[in-house]
Amino acid sequence: MTVKLVKVTPKVERYPEYEELDWVIAHGLGVDHTADITSFSQTIAQAGSIKGIETYYYMRYDDSPERNYIPMAFYTVLGKPKVPVLLHEEVEPVGELFKVIAVFSSSLLLQKTAQRALLFDGAKKDAILLVNTSITTDDVVRLVKKYNLAQDWFGKVVTISAAKIDSAIAYPMLGALARGWDRIDLDSILTALDVLGKEKKKESVKKGYEAASVKEVHVLAEETEMFKKIKREVELPEFTGEFWTPEVYYAYQKAAAEAQTYPSRIATMPRWEVLAPGLIEFGPQPGKRNLGFTTPWRWQRPIIDMNKCTDCKLCHYYCPDGAIDFAPIKVDIDYCKGCGTCEKVCPVKAIKMVPEIEYLEGLRDEEVLRRFEQREYGF
Amino acid sequence: MSSQVAFKNIKEIPPVDYYTSGRRTCAGCGPALGYRIISKAAGPNTIFIGPTGCMYVANAHQFLTSPYAVPWHHTQLGGGGAAAIGVASALRTLMLKGKRKLEDINVVVMGGDGAMADIGFSGLSMGLSYDYQRLLYIIYDNEAYMNTGVQASSTTPWGATTTFTPAGKVKPIGNTRLKKNMALVAAAHPKVKYVATATLWPPLDLMNKVHRALNAGGPTLIHVLLPCPKGWFTNPSETVDLSRLAVETGMWVLWESIEGQFKLNYRPKPRKHVREYLAPQGRFSHLKDEDMEKIDKMIEEEWKFWEESAKLGRLVVPY
Amino acid sequence: MSAIKPMPPVAIEKPKAKVWNGARAIAEAVKVADVDVIAAYPIRPYTGIMNSLASMIANGEFTADIIVADSEHSQFEIVKHASAVGARVFAGSSGVGLAFAAEAIIVTALSQLPVVAAIGTRALDDPGNFGMEWSDALMFRDFGWLISWAKTVQEAADMTLVAYRVAEDRRVLLPHFIALDGAAITHVATPVVPVTKQQATEFLPPYRPPYRIDPQDGPVTKAQHIAPSLIGPEERKTIDVAQKRSKQVIAEAWKDFAKYTGREYPPFLETIGMEDAEFALIGMGAYMKDLELVASRLRSKGHKVGTVRLRYVRPFPAEELINALGGVKAAGVIEFGYSFGSPFGTGSLYHEVATSLYEADAKPTLLDFLFLGGREPTVEHFTQLAEKVIESAHKKPQKKTYWLTLRGEDI
Repeated sequence: MTVKLVKVTPKVERYPEYEELDWVIAHGLGVDHTADITSFSQTIAQAGSIKGIETYYYMRYDDSPERNYIPMAFYTVLGKPKVPVLLHEEVEPVGELFKVIAVFSSSLLLQKTAQRALLFDGAKKDAILLVNTSITTDDVVRLVKKYNLAQDWFGKVVTISAAKIDSAIAYPMLGALARGWDRIDLDSILTALDVLGKEKKKESVKKGYEAASVKEVHVLAEETEMFKKIKREVELPEFTGEFWTPEVYYAYQKAAAEAQTYPSRIATMPRWEVLAPGLIEFGPQPGKRNLGFTTPWRWQRPIIDMNKCTDCKLCHYYCPDGAIDFAPIKVDIDYCKGCGTCEKVCPVKAIKMVPEIEYLEGLRDEEVLRRFEQREYGF
Repeated sequence: MSSQVAFKNIKEIPPVDYYTSGRRTCAGCGPALGYRIISKAAGPNTIFIGPTGCMYVANAHQFLTSPYAVPWHHTQLGGGGAAAIGVASALRTLMLKGKRKLEDINVVVMGGDGAMADIGFSGLSMGLSYDYQRLLYIIYDNEAYMNTGVQASSTTPWGATTTFTPAGKVKPIGNTRLKKNMALVAAAHPKVKYVATATLWPPLDLMNKVHRALNAGGPTLIHVLLPCPKGWFTNPSETVDLSRLAVETGMWVLWESIEGQFKLNYRPKPRKHVREYLAPQGRFSHLKDEDMEKIDKMIEEEWKFWEESAKLGRLVVPY
Repeated sequence: MSAIKPMPPVAIEKPKAKVWNGARAIAEAVKVADVDVIAAYPIRPYTGIMNSLASMIANGEFTADIIVADSEHSQFEIVKHASAVGARVFAGSSGVGLAFAAEAIIVTALSQLPVVAAIGTRALDDPGNFGMEWSDALMFRDFGWLISWAKTVQEAADMTLVAYRVAEDRRVLLPHFIALDGAAITHVATPVVPVTKQQATEFLPPYRPPYRIDPQDGPVTKAQHIAPSLIGPEERKTIDVAQKRSKQVIAEAWKDFAKYTGREYPPFLETIGMEDAEFALIGMGAYMKDLELVASRLRSKGHKVGTVRLRYVRPFPAEELINALGGVKAAGVIEFGYSFGSPFGTGSLYHEVATSLYEADAKPTLLDFLFLGGREPTVEHFTQLAEKVIESAHKKPQKKTYWLTLRGEDI
């Protein structure tokens, strides 16, 4: 049964009341950076409140519970005089909301965020990009222009190699933030740490402040790759008034999987008449993988040396995500999360995990190699 | 009339996963890996029941996405035991009444430790008291309520930190309850056909146990230890290694009870000191040497009973 | 869409009436409905239904699997999942048993599984009380279950069969409670004309859900966890619409039922003497018979009293009620369900009636008569009640709510 498809232009909402506020969005890999980003956001909110600014911070509830290596985001929102801070939990990456985009792993510069949007979707024109990385500011801007920016950007980029200073990377990041953003100054952050009982971290904040690199940025939308490439329309099954069959469902699924912006993803969500009664969806046919969830945000990928491989099948057997085909042994990279289990179980050491930034861009970033055990402890 | 064969060689396993790639499970997720392996062993004529938990929420949440290539139905946290009975009964009755063709269909419940050892204990016990065939209860034991953010369950081991039992200045141990042995509880039900424990190591062990369970001719249970990098605070790449260490330190005992006959599958010789298993796990990082000694002693004591059961060929309750 | 084409039968079979209690009569209806899976758990007063069914099955009167569950929660989980696989199911409970099953009960409606369950209504604990109250059934009125309410043993049995027809209709696909006033139905035996197997087979088509949890229907994934920004109101809307569509399905079903059995029922409201009534007594269930007697006695004294009996509380027949109460000066709601702390301390049925009347052009004075705690009201109480209603049309009543069976001051 062929499904008739029609083009749909997504509705793009803008929320002027929320755009009046200063939003800080902090992106990181789940669990790995949760404690760091919590400290980061909490300290900003504390610093803001010390200065008499109405602030709150919270995790994007959709990412709850946060999962290892799966991108998640925290929001901190700062009010302005006479502008009430409204409750807005479902912060969509649209319009001009984000004043600061803090990125705790450079792998997130390369692919889409937790909300399946570009990193700069929803950014203010003068946004400050703060990245925990050892690569240069020039490289950061180049990557962003290639992968994650499709609009004008007349703001700043700030980089800091945080783990070099303190394995609790939130603190050098805070120092770097103070360098790049006048709204939250160094003194407020240091006072905030006193209030929060984290006096021991003040040194790291100061060091981060000193070591940060700041660069002004002036990029026009037309100069970016994504501006040319990005598809804003979607193709959906024609609405017949009937509830869906598997074929119609798979067509919706394909459209949602291929959506490149947040509004177009929402546009692929069906109207109630299309839902089969009883909360029915359809899984993939046996032998196929689930089109509805891929892993473009992985931070490292396995490279298999087929000369060393003895075809023992252990990597296929032990991949928690089933991303390694059985025969021939081959990684389906769209489903690999970069956990590194295959590298561990291979008896002949034929598999090596390589950071995405190295594989895709030939860059070496000390920060993505931060030892797992050095994370700030906490759930 | 099943087309399943026992899995002797990893190169001859079915290549298809019926719980496939493309879901929001953690990198390195033990339960997801277990689920994959179980789905391979069960095959396409399977219905999965998913009580609330990580193996529900992590495999969903986004819309227009599902990793299940076989029929799958959610049930409530405490509903696993009963839901399986409902499915098995419906299939059997419809076949009996000629409303559906006769066929062997597996009914597999993937329930977490919180679901099956706590809130769903009663329903699980009811399920084990019936005679529906090809019904398998899997307890994916990651040793806490992980989906809600790491809270203690009755299978959380002594000394583990969870958000409900955090190690602190006044309560330095963390969880002070002892781990409940659900496989033992299942085996105590009269004439249960097959009960086993398993983990991710050795390879193929879990698959073969699933196969044996589904062909045992009645409701069965496999209690599977599956490390959770998030809640155990371990490196996502270490999940399989941890499973192996759990067995090699004697912390997790691999056994089967086949129609009442006890079979010890693996005897660690020599048994590694438990600190090798505990050290990589952040949830035990607050324990002192004397605490780890205490755990090692507990393992030593308990093994006397496993040895006795192995000698007798029947289960002896180790408490 | 399953549009039933009613076939006029050659001749209406009229089997002999048997003296059965409500438990037996409902069980007999379940038997001819070709139910596949039944889950049982004991609690008074509904247990007799399961006892009868177990006996019938043990003696081969029909083929079904009856499972003894470990609790009511498991009981309702069993039938929920059996229904998803494609089996026609039956369950039931009373009082706190229903409360224990609440999670499973709610999910059944929100995932649109056409489970049919009998409720022998019973006062909730504490204290333990074998008396009759409506709150065990009415507390579930928000979730999407269809709820019908029987007046007699005959009606309870007939409602059981119609429940399957309505619940399983593709335009509806919602679970259905057959509520009945506890022991007044389950433990009281009266002559009942059974529906024959032949009549049931023609009236009730086989259960065919659009997608079954069964490998033969492919990889169906049911009831996934979903982020509300993606799908949220949409899943609730399907239930809202199913309830709205059910009204037409219910009307069709009772019309057909009359064709096969000769027993005619007005689908939503049974009204007596309402054509010219100035005073109305509104209620549900077994005690309406007593109220009808009281109303007719008052009629003979010259008071224009009528009765309105609701046969369904979900979907609530608001338009029908407004029409029935046109021209009425004062009405009393006969109430066995409480809602402590609610506006003016009124009961659950009162809320539904008052909300409906809010849309009416003319609103009668509305009083609420609460018979709580399981103590049985008598004809005396009903007469007092009716007199208060009549009085309220002439003199503004001092109170809105009356606890006529209470010992002590009714403040």
